[in-house]
Amino acid sequence: MSETVNDTIDVVREPPTPRSFSRPYWEGTRQKKLLVQFDRRSGKYQFFPRANSLFNGHRDLEWREVSGQGEVFTYTIARRGPPGFRGKEPYLIATVTLDVGVNVIANIVHCGLDEIAIGMKVKPYWLPLANGTHLLMFEPAR
Amino acid sequence: MALRNTAIVGYAETKIVEKSDRDIWELGAEILDSLLTSTGFEKQEIDGLVLSASMTGAGNPFWSQTTADQLGLELDFCQTVDIGGSAPLGALARACAAIDAGLCTTAMLLFADTQGAENNSRQRAFSGEWTTPYGLLGPPGAFGLLSKRYEHLYGLDFRMLGKLAVAQRGHAVLNPNAVEKLRQPMTIDDYINSRMIAEPIRLLDSVMVCDGASGLLVTGRARAKQKRIAKFVTPIGYGERTNFRIGESVVDVTQSGHLAAGTKAFATAGLAAKDICSFHPYDDFIIAMMIQMEMLGFCKPGQGCAFIREHDFTHTGDLPLNTGGGQISAGQPGLAGGGVNLVEAVRQLMGAGGARQVKRIDNALVTGIGGIPYGRNWATSTAMILTPDA
Repeated sequence: MSETVNDTIDVVREPPTPRSFSRPYWEGTRQKKLLVQFDRRSGKYQFFPRANSLFNGHRDLEWREVSGQGEVFTYTIARRGPPGFRGKEPYLIATVTLDVGVNVIANIVHCGLDEIAIGMKVKPYWLPLANGTHLLMFEPAR
Repeated sequence: MALRNTAIVGYAETKIVEKSDRDIWELGAEILDSLLTSTGFEKQEIDGLVLSASMTGAGNPFWSQTTADQLGLELDFCQTVDIGGSAPLGALARACAAIDAGLCTTAMLLFADTQGAENNSRQRAFSGEWTTPYGLLGPPGAFGLLSKRYEHLYGLDFRMLGKLAVAQRGHAVLNPNAVEKLRQPMTIDDYINSRMIAEPIRLLDSVMVCDGASGLLVTGRARAKQKRIAKFVTPIGYGERTNFRIGESVVDVTQSGHLAAGTKAFATAGLAAKDICSFHPYDDFIIAMMIQMEMLGFCKPGQGCAFIREHDFTHTGDLPLNTGGGQISAGQPGLAGGGVNLVEAVRQLMGAGGARQVKRIDNALVTGIGGIPYGRNWATSTAMILTPDA
């Protein structure tokens, strides 16, 4: 039997404080919508949200809803967590490449240590937060 | 050229301790006193002060002025450099530029932090929204992500990383300024068996945050000659890159800004990696040194473990590595950590390495790493090549 991994779903997270330019992202999570910034001039997506384009510095960014499907780019098994996560180890944190071509860091839940692998297909899992928004996580797209 | 017109005429360093019972300004005073004593300069000759940022000073936006006041320095040039672990090397480059531009004539560089005893930082960053909610443990977590990707792309022989750790530990045993707790010999098995923090990052991959200070005294080359300074060290090449490939949304985390910074430093110096006599890379994690070997041209990307297998990194070896123990075995005095390997390189080039003196001192390569960004490896990469009395 493989080692048990903690989903950390029972770890209480303070809802993050959005910035003026990331508010649409967090508002979108209320309906479990994943909104990613799209730069029309370059035709590319960027993450995390910023106040201007990473590609050309301009501000004509739009929010586009994306599926959140992707695959694991890399991961780490957290064996020592920061306060709040102490005692919940081991748990998984991955960088996921979304289908639209951005990398997102998040926990992988509902996934064993014998299953996690680079290249594994994942889909969003939304963890409810106290203020009605949700935290984006991923689970295997089995 | 700006770099070659400058001379590092003195270096100083305090003992590195886990938690300082002395104030950060007392550590700064010790560095000033030591620099004046070892060089014969008068305090009144110092008209520039460049600090590396510190966790202790982080709450004070007037840090360089306040510190200059505490040290009793009257200055024409005064600033703090805040590019993380790259700050000490960056401070040296900026001091050289300032001297060459006539903003000042002689600068004290002070790298001091008492993060263990007094951390006043409150960092405004992406983490609150984008990584803290996931329990990502700062730098070890980021290097866990990096290491796993490297292993996936190229394979990773952890015993070779252990070989670097063991070589550095041997140097710390010979370094009286290294933190006492780490001045014990270790083996590759000790490294392999140390507990996992952010798998595959182990405890012995990681730096231990400590307190301490180091510093340099830098002046114009002509002035050093005029004052008949017997031994000095001159920078002959420097490169710095912040936010390498920021305009890409999916970044290869196994490649760093040292690719750009190293190319520039070597081109300016007219040297290549094969010419380097001793290597003093920034070491927050063991694998960071291997990645720098690849990025700086000691070997090709993915060939780091094979390169490590073929070389001897002890102070008597063919490529002496962080001969003071590096931060990983000498201790990381907070954001002043970049000074540990820099000052060691200067010490070696002046022939003052004592029991750990390297044989070949035609040059030394020192690097910096600063800041942990989101989904990339590190924010700032620096590389500098130094020579004795060029």
